[in-house]
Amino acid sequence: MKQGHFTIKPSAHKLARRAFSANNAGLILLYAVGFAVANWAARPWAGAGFFSLWYPPAGLRFAVLWSRGARLTPWLVLIEIIADIVVGTISLTHGSALQEITGAARPGLSYGTAMGLVRHLSRGRSGTLGLPPMIFGMVAIAAPALNAILVIPFEAWLPAESDRYRSGVDAAISLTGLAVGDLLGILVLAPPLLWLSTIARLKHPLPWRWPSLRPVLEDGLVMSGCLGLTIALWRAGLGAQTTPSLLAGAWIGLRHGRTAAWFAILSQTLVFLPYSAGALDDPLRLELHLGIASSVLVTWLAGSFSDAQQKAQAALDRRNRMLYQAQRLKTLRAMSVAVIHEISQPLSTLAIEAAHLRSATLGLGHDIAESAALVNRKAVALSDMVRRLRRFGGREVDEPSALPVAMLIQSACQIVSFEVRDQSKNLHCGPISPDLVVHAQEIELTQALVNLLRNALAAGQGQVVSLLACAHGEAVRIIVNNPTSLVTATREGTGMGIGLAIARTIVEAHGGQLLREDKSNSVRFVISLPLFKGPARLEGGAR
Amino acid sequence: MIDPVPARASSVAVLDDDADLAATVSRLLARHEITALPFTDPHDLLNAWPTRHFACVVSDIQMGDMDGFAFADALRKHDPAVAMVFMTAWPTTTHAVDAVRRHGGLDYLEKPIDEARLIAAVGDGVAWSARQRRIAALTAAFTKREREVFDLLVRGHSNKEIAQRLGISARTVEDHRAAITAKTRTNGLAQLIALSRGDVLRPLPANPGNFPDSLWEPAK
Repeated sequence: MKQGHFTIKPSAHKLARRAFSANNAGLILLYAVGFAVANWAARPWAGAGFFSLWYPPAGLRFAVLWSRGARLTPWLVLIEIIADIVVGTISLTHGSALQEITGAARPGLSYGTAMGLVRHLSRGRSGTLGLPPMIFGMVAIAAPALNAILVIPFEAWLPAESDRYRSGVDAAISLTGLAVGDLLGILVLAPPLLWLSTIARLKHPLPWRWPSLRPVLEDGLVMSGCLGLTIALWRAGLGAQTTPSLLAGAWIGLRHGRTAAWFAILSQTLVFLPYSAGALDDPLRLELHLGIASSVLVTWLAGSFSDAQQKAQAALDRRNRMLYQAQRLKTLRAMSVAVIHEISQPLSTLAIEAAHLRSATLGLGHDIAESAALVNRKAVALSDMVRRLRRFGGREVDEPSALPVAMLIQSACQIVSFEVRDQSKNLHCGPISPDLVVHAQEIELTQALVNLLRNALAAGQGQVVSLLACAHGEAVRIIVNNPTSLVTATREGTGMGIGLAIARTIVEAHGGQLLREDKSNSVRFVISLPLFKGPARLEGGAR
Repeated sequence: MIDPVPARASSVAVLDDDADLAATVSRLLARHEITALPFTDPHDLLNAWPTRHFACVVSDIQMGDMDGFAFADALRKHDPAVAMVFMTAWPTTTHAVDAVRRHGGLDYLEKPIDEARLIAAVGDGVAWSARQRRIAALTAAFTKREREVFDLLVRGHSNKEIAQRLGISARTVEDHRAAITAKTRTNGLAQLIALSRGDVLRPLPANPGNFPDSLWEPAK
């Protein structure tokens, strides 16, 4: 579903306020502590030319940015710099303080940029790559890569005198080491942190479900087999080889998705990291970590791909169910048309005979004449009803015609009035000028408005949903205003979630636009349609 | 001087696979002094045609193996001068247009039927059919050349123009014109034009013997 049509225009000060709410203050404090601790924990894997080949703070940073949005970037950068100063990584008295501060700001900035960029590029994309699991996977690669690449301009601008990032061939080693450490940190630490945050934010926690035994056994067997092979190769003097665990990770990820992939990654790192923290020289350690990184990356991407496939399949299943529903509705419509036909045939006879009976009995007794007249009246009423029903069910009736907006709003309100009463909600319609006329298919446009009203009624919490219409230049704007906050407007579970999409399709087919123009304390959807300037308007909007 | 043929002189067939409705519509027409016969099978009606002619057929559209439109086309092959009025319980815009434009229907009625509209349509149909039959009878009495001269004459062409168009002499045109006047027993171009539109002339003079009486209203 394209989001581009809904323009939300928050002002700059509102953005700043949203970027740092009280809720975020606690998180940022926690982040500061976590960052310092994780930084310290990375030290055993440090080497010449790079900070660490296993860098958990990257995972922490990634998780916070992913869950709270890239808008927190400036705050994270600030906290990281302060934490570095407090633990003494940055010395303010030192001559290279500026270089060190910019160096500390770079990772946060590049993570925020990469995340914003990938999310922006994947917006509106359909297909597997546009699904959330794959977006996460791509950001997880793009962020460390960008962080490493940005070292070059940063170093060119403010060359550090310390030899953290060396030149020439050594620079390649430095940057690879940096990217590898970040990647490992992200893929090992971010997923569990994000899961924890999701669970913590659920209002009604999901009941714990044990995973089924079969996949666990299968994955365990594959992983232990491959790790066993790695140990055997190491014993044979070939060094610590990561290829077997890469194969195992790919298998597990593709078979059982991201959760299984993460456990595979965890077991890979648990086996390799203690080994690489030991007495290894830098090139050997870098080589090993490159192997681990590729294995972890492949595992995670395989898991993401599998999950994305499952999501796509679920979407397909949902669409199939909707098609099935549509098919049933079609059958139902055919049935009702058939019923009308079956009724109209005998009714034709009945109506003619009843009319005859009425005129033939006029001169007879009062009682019989009255009976005949009653039968005739009922036959006429029934005939009218059959004609009306047939007109409603038929296709030819919904041809575009001049339609007063007041009438459109009135019929939409009538349709939802039962739901309004049923859910003890309130629906308020402002006075609507009879001059507002659009050229439209009445049944379709009513459906679009009904969908918006239903969404507003379902999302609101007892407040009044209001419906207004006004002329705006050459267009008429029909506004569905729902006084609710942006956070509570997101809801799950009711309906099929296609009402809005259908409404937009209908409105666009009429040459109009469906816009979302939220106010500070209300969600409002606006249908904008071209005003009709035909003869109907001159007649005061009569159809 | 010119009168349309009154409806009561002709008869109507009502065709519907629902026998009750066919009978009811026939009785309704009979009550309005239009003689009508009910039919339930289009084949029965087609088979009856050589011996029994109807001025107008009120036909259902959706019927068993032969629908109202196919029936109308088959009937027109036998008799192009029959008027058709369609009725249906499945009204659609396409059918309504087809009924009138392609199958020569005079009206397209939705069931349950609007009685006044049915009576009016059948009345129009009977009058239209009578005119068509008169025109057919008129042209049947002419020779091929007389027919050509007649067609040009009633369209307002002079003898000279007709002679030029047909490549004959003006004298021959005058001869044909005299024969036409004699056969139709008319006394002037105005009456010829009225005849070409299917109108009825009166009073009835002595019939020279070779021209159908039906063109003339019986003397009162």
